[in-house]
Amino acid sequence: MKAEKLKGHLDLLLLSVLSRGPGHGYEVITRLKVRSDGAFQLPEGTVYPALHRLEGAGLLASGWDVVAGRRRRIYHLTAAGEAAMAEQAAQWREFSGSMARVLGASSAPALATAGGMA
Amino acid sequence: MSGGTADAPSDLIEDYLDRLLVSLSGSPRQVRHTLAEVEAHLHDAVAEGIAAGLPEETAQVQALERIGPVNAVTGRRGSLVRPSAALLRRLTLTAALVGGAGFVAIGGAGLVGRLLQALKGNLFMTTPFPPGTYTQADCSRWLAGDPGTRSCVTAMLADHAFDYLLQATACGLIGLAGLAAYLFLRRRWSDRATVTALPAGTAEGLGAILAGIAAVACFGLVADLETVQRGVGVGEPLSLGIAATVAAGAFAFALWYCLRGVRLRAS
Repeated sequence: MKAEKLKGHLDLLLLSVLSRGPGHGYEVITRLKVRSDGAFQLPEGTVYPALHRLEGAGLLASGWDVVAGRRRRIYHLTAAGEAAMAEQAAQWREFSGSMARVLGASSAPALATAGGMA
Repeated sequence: MSGGTADAPSDLIEDYLDRLLVSLSGSPRQVRHTLAEVEAHLHDAVAEGIAAGLPEETAQVQALERIGPVNAVTGRRGSLVRPSAALLRRLTLTAALVGGAGFVAIGGAGLVGRLLQALKGNLFMTTPFPPGTYTQADCSRWLAGDPGTRSCVTAMLADHAFDYLLQATACGLIGLAGLAAYLFLRRRWSDRATVTALPAGTAEGLGAILAGIAAVACFGLVADLETVQRGVGVGEPLSLGIAATVAAGAFAFALWYCLRGVRLRAS
């Protein structure tokens, strides 16, 4: 999926990834790739301003730790972040469900018509 | 992985971090933290590439492709980002070098003009105003500046030639100041981000092109004056053309020397 399409959903994706446990930037990106089966292709650098923005909004908090010999900034979800993720996830499920129903409804007559002609 | 020694000349990761450092905005702490995060990220990505069997340089290239351009990390859109500090510094250096050398060349044209004036006289140097386009007061002023003659035209030509030489000398002094500023600033701004903000040889190439255009224009004017005015007033464009040719040659040599250095460092 192109980066442009992911832009509006990046915050939810990051919150979701971090809801499974704290992680540093590279780890977050790796988890995002693994969980999407490599479908989400975005410049990895774009994750950092998003993480910083979420931290500034109080949805994430971070601390420094040494992991595998390197100093890392480890992010974790705050209580506000958990609430925001739950709310955004619910909105997304409602939206995607509605989209699926609309797309399903629009494809059904076409199939029926095609079946009738045959 | 090299580990990113500070002076490694061909380390792509270090180059990227240099560009990022001068592009990040925010408090010093925010800048330090983002830089540390991205550095760890890039080293992870390179290590992953090497573990997958890639040569280090290929792994670096791949890591940089994955992370995206510097403005992806800074969070500012490329089209809206104001020029980075490194680019502004490099443009200033380029302007100081090209401008300084250009003005010095005009000063050099003054020296050539002085020589031509001595050899060929003021009529060769400059064109007199047509009769009726100047007043008696103008004549009096020119004659006052050249008490040795009674001819208004002769005094006018001497005045014009003197003005040309004076202005050329002033330009030469300004050019020397520009080059001194260039040398001073180049020592202060020798960081890799500034040096790599524009391709190697940009200033030299630009100077060679501009000086070459100036030389062609001046010699074209010389040819025109030779044809139309039988050589009257040829001295000024001729001296400027000679100086511009020398400047173009000097810039071209500097460009060759610069690119040769780059090739040698690369090999």
